[in-house]
Amino acid sequence: MMQSSPWNLRRLVIWAGRLVLGGTFLYAGVAKIFLPNTHLWPWFVLKFSVATNLSNFHTEVEAYKLLSRTAASFVANTLPFAEVVLGLLVLVGWRLRLFASLLTLIMTGFFIVVTRAYLLHMNIVCGCFGVPEPLTGWTVLRDALLTALAWWMTICAFIEARQPHPWSASAPAPEKASA
Amino acid sequence: MNLRVLGVATLLVLALALGASRDSKAQSTGTTTPAKPVASKSAKTASPAIPPSPQPITVGPVTDIDPRKAFGSKTAPVILEVFSDFQCPACKNLYLATNRQLMDNYVNTGKVYLIHRDFPLQMHAHSRVAALYARAAAQIGRGEAVEQALFENQERWEASGDVDGIVATAISAADMKKVRDLVKSGTLEPFIEKDLALGHMHNVNQTPTTEFYAHGQTYPYAGQVNYEFLKQFLDQLLAQK
Repeated sequence: MMQSSPWNLRRLVIWAGRLVLGGTFLYAGVAKIFLPNTHLWPWFVLKFSVATNLSNFHTEVEAYKLLSRTAASFVANTLPFAEVVLGLLVLVGWRLRLFASLLTLIMTGFFIVVTRAYLLHMNIVCGCFGVPEPLTGWTVLRDALLTALAWWMTICAFIEARQPHPWSASAPAPEKASA
Repeated sequence: MNLRVLGVATLLVLALALGASRDSKAQSTGTTTPAKPVASKSAKTASPAIPPSPQPITVGPVTDIDPRKAFGSKTAPVILEVFSDFQCPACKNLYLATNRQLMDNYVNTGKVYLIHRDFPLQMHAHSRVAALYARAAAQIGRGEAVEQALFENQERWEASGDVDGIVATAISAADMKKVRDLVKSGTLEPFIEKDLALGHMHNVNQTPTTEFYAHGQTYPYAGQVNYEFLKQFLDQLLAQK
């Protein structure tokens, strides 16, 4: 009988990270595209809803006063879709080290930007989930925890990748049951 | 300050008394003439009587409309009801970037009837005061100039709280006196409260929020709207039967 993968903390962190971070990114991307205006029919109404939502996100990105108008426009029109794709890839677990690293970089960027805005007492909204959520200490704490989890998950993914797979020939043979 | 208030009050009482006496004379002769304002010999001329607040009107499915804060043809096929906050950056963008073109291309051509509602958010310390000044200016027919001044100088009065100073740069001294009197009178607060209540009824939780009414359908949209996308949307709504 093949030995199943042993449970350990590293694998638990990877699973938890994939679920939490992948799910969060997927939700954040979908929310930015479809919230707060969620009119899905007819087609021209849907187009207008998505355009308005991305326009809102553009305003929220500009409010951080970090990027030029063009750069903010680029971020506003690409980041939500990137979050959806990245969230799905991390959830699925394909090429985990690559996409977990990318997610971690983005998450770290979010944390730095949000913390900067908080320390500068900027009276702005987070712009994280498509609805006007004021930027508070709780936002910073939440981002800090997610960033920490992202780093932990990524490090664990790299360590795990260096471990031999239990089903591979180089893995130690399982103990035979006594007759 | 107290002497100035006393002087203005005295002039107003004299104007009212003169108007009343002329009215009673006209009634006895069977004719009525509107009261003329009293001409003062001092450099600061007495202001004409401030027009009374008009009755709210109903256009299509939208009720309780203040005619001073509504623009366009009442028979327009599309109605836009905009809930906005003078201290909100997105409202500023909407007003400066989108509203002007909307007015020129859709409101003034009879395609859209535009209604403005005040929705000062609690997180903005001075937006309610700004709304009061804008409403007072609208009552004397100087609403557009004051709105433009407030939005264009939003960062300045947001930081300093000096809404009065910004409004004073947009209108004449005589008009500014009327605006200040109206703001101080407290008669404009109920209009703001009514707009706020309407907004809560429509589940407005951010500004700007625009309600589109067309062909029996209502499409609420929260957030600012880019004019190019708005144009496409309005053209599609107008093309619908």
